[in-house]
Amino acid sequence: MIRLKDLTKRFGQRLAVDALTLEVRRGDVFGLLGHNGAGKSTSIGMLLGQVWPSSGEAWIGDHEVSRDRSRALARVGAIFEAPAFYDYLSGWRNVEILAGYSSPVSQQRLTEVFEWVGLSGREHQVVRTYSHGMRARLALAQALVPDPELLILDEPTNGLDPEGIHEMRATIRRLHAELGLTLLLSSHLLTEVEQLCNRIAVLNKGRKVFEGGLEEVQRGQDWVFLQTDAFDVVVTRLTAEGLVVGARDGRRIALASGVPVSDVVRRLVELGHPVHGIGRETLTLEEFYLSLMKETPCS
Amino acid sequence: MFLIQLRHELWKLFGKKRTYMGFAMFFVAQVVILMVFRFSRASRGMGDLLETNGYDITAFLSPLTAACFTNFWLAYLLLPLYGSLVGGDLVAKEAEDGTLRMILARPVSRTRLLLLKWLAGAAFSVVLSLLLGLTGLLIGLPFFPWGGLFAFVPGELFAVFPADVGLWRYAAAHLLMSVKATTVMGLAFFFGCLPIKPAAATIMALSFIFLNFILMNIPWFADLKPWFLTYHLNLWQQMYESPIRWTRMGESLSLLLGFNATFFALGAAVFGLRDLKS
Repeated sequence: MIRLKDLTKRFGQRLAVDALTLEVRRGDVFGLLGHNGAGKSTSIGMLLGQVWPSSGEAWIGDHEVSRDRSRALARVGAIFEAPAFYDYLSGWRNVEILAGYSSPVSQQRLTEVFEWVGLSGREHQVVRTYSHGMRARLALAQALVPDPELLILDEPTNGLDPEGIHEMRATIRRLHAELGLTLLLSSHLLTEVEQLCNRIAVLNKGRKVFEGGLEEVQRGQDWVFLQTDAFDVVVTRLTAEGLVVGARDGRRIALASGVPVSDVVRRLVELGHPVHGIGRETLTLEEFYLSLMKETPCS
Repeated sequence: MFLIQLRHELWKLFGKKRTYMGFAMFFVAQVVILMVFRFSRASRGMGDLLETNGYDITAFLSPLTAACFTNFWLAYLLLPLYGSLVGGDLVAKEAEDGTLRMILARPVSRTRLLLLKWLAGAAFSVVLSLLLGLTGLLIGLPFFPWGGLFAFVPGELFAVFPADVGLWRYAAAHLLMSVKATTVMGLAFFFGCLPIKPAAATIMALSFIFLNFILMNIPWFADLKPWFLTYHLNLWQQMYESPIRWTRMGESLSLLLGFNATFFALGAAVFGLRDLKS
């Protein structure tokens, strides 16, 4: 659905996005993760044709954005952090105007969408009177009216209160489950991405340092926690025997490829080492992300 | 589709309170000027001037005359102000507010968006100029008897017309005034396409106009007048000349059309190259 090929953006001397290549498949909820200034919004800007790439290509479907922007964005909706509206006009009028840049809008479609986002009954009030949560729902409405296949959400929960954040996350799940949309979500909130996405890419200093499924992240390396006496002695012995390839924290070991936990337990018992506890451990996204940042630190 | 989008641009423009600031200020200014003229000794000066030149004051102290001299000064000074205020806002204010980013997430080309905005600005300029003419006349009706038109600019213009001729000249002058308002709006619109604040766009456009005005009025530059934009912006004033210099009017009109096309093309070129980020 989305393909970025060596997409690069320089602002003067500063390299904002460095040869970014990634793919978002149809049906994905794809998380673009990175600290503030990592290049997420610039990448989204290039994907929407708002920022001109210095080099590389951004494809949506079969259309390259710089060359064929109108067709590329025909079935795309977007929501930005702190969405802006014409505050002196009604919510209805705002959506009519914004969605009108994509295609003609029927009154029936507007009614359906206002109902879907839960703004029925408030749609004719001026936006100036809307709460943050209502503005977020209005942003969603304007994105949904042209019946998109792909929805791009740039830091959608920024500025919302906890209740608003919870509501927005629930809505994102509904968008995927009920409307079958492909979603590209940028965020620096790890828990948010972990809760919502099936695939992620991590950016650091404009460079992609990881792309893959969330399951892949959680598996990470094959870390096993091990509670035993004389941990260091055990690790040295098991490493020498080729069962273990690494250790950390005085309580975690990395098994060699294809070695099951049961083999390690059997060997420890044979060697007379007590095993107080052992089991596979999954990495949280936070642990994974922090380990990536350690490997590729920011300047 | 284009017309629907144009209607949406007009909703945006005419939904804003500040759009009406120009209309409100013109109305207040017209009322004040006409009341001072009607209820002070000011009209005596005009009478003396007419009588010295062999005309009967009673035939020309009319709503047409009052509206004409009122609107002369408003068109010189206030029309550029409100034209540039709206023109400077059209793109720059949306960029500042963040709504431009919302629009440009849509499959609409930047040139098409600018054309829609420019047309909305032009519609505002036409309405503002025509309303200026209409309200000037309507405010004067209760206070002066219907009569001929006397147009006077010291050192430049002295013309009298019977009521019927005066009325069409007055109407045509305001139609041409809309070309002036549109051009000033277009100049500010161009500056608004640069990555600057809306107020800066307005100020730059006004500075450009005022600089032209100053240069044009330096006595030693009299021969250079046709080189200045303000000289051509005053083409509406030529509708009060007798006879009308159609060649000069055609020249000014075509130059202003050229200016408008240039401002738009420059604005579109600059805007097309911009990166739009939050």
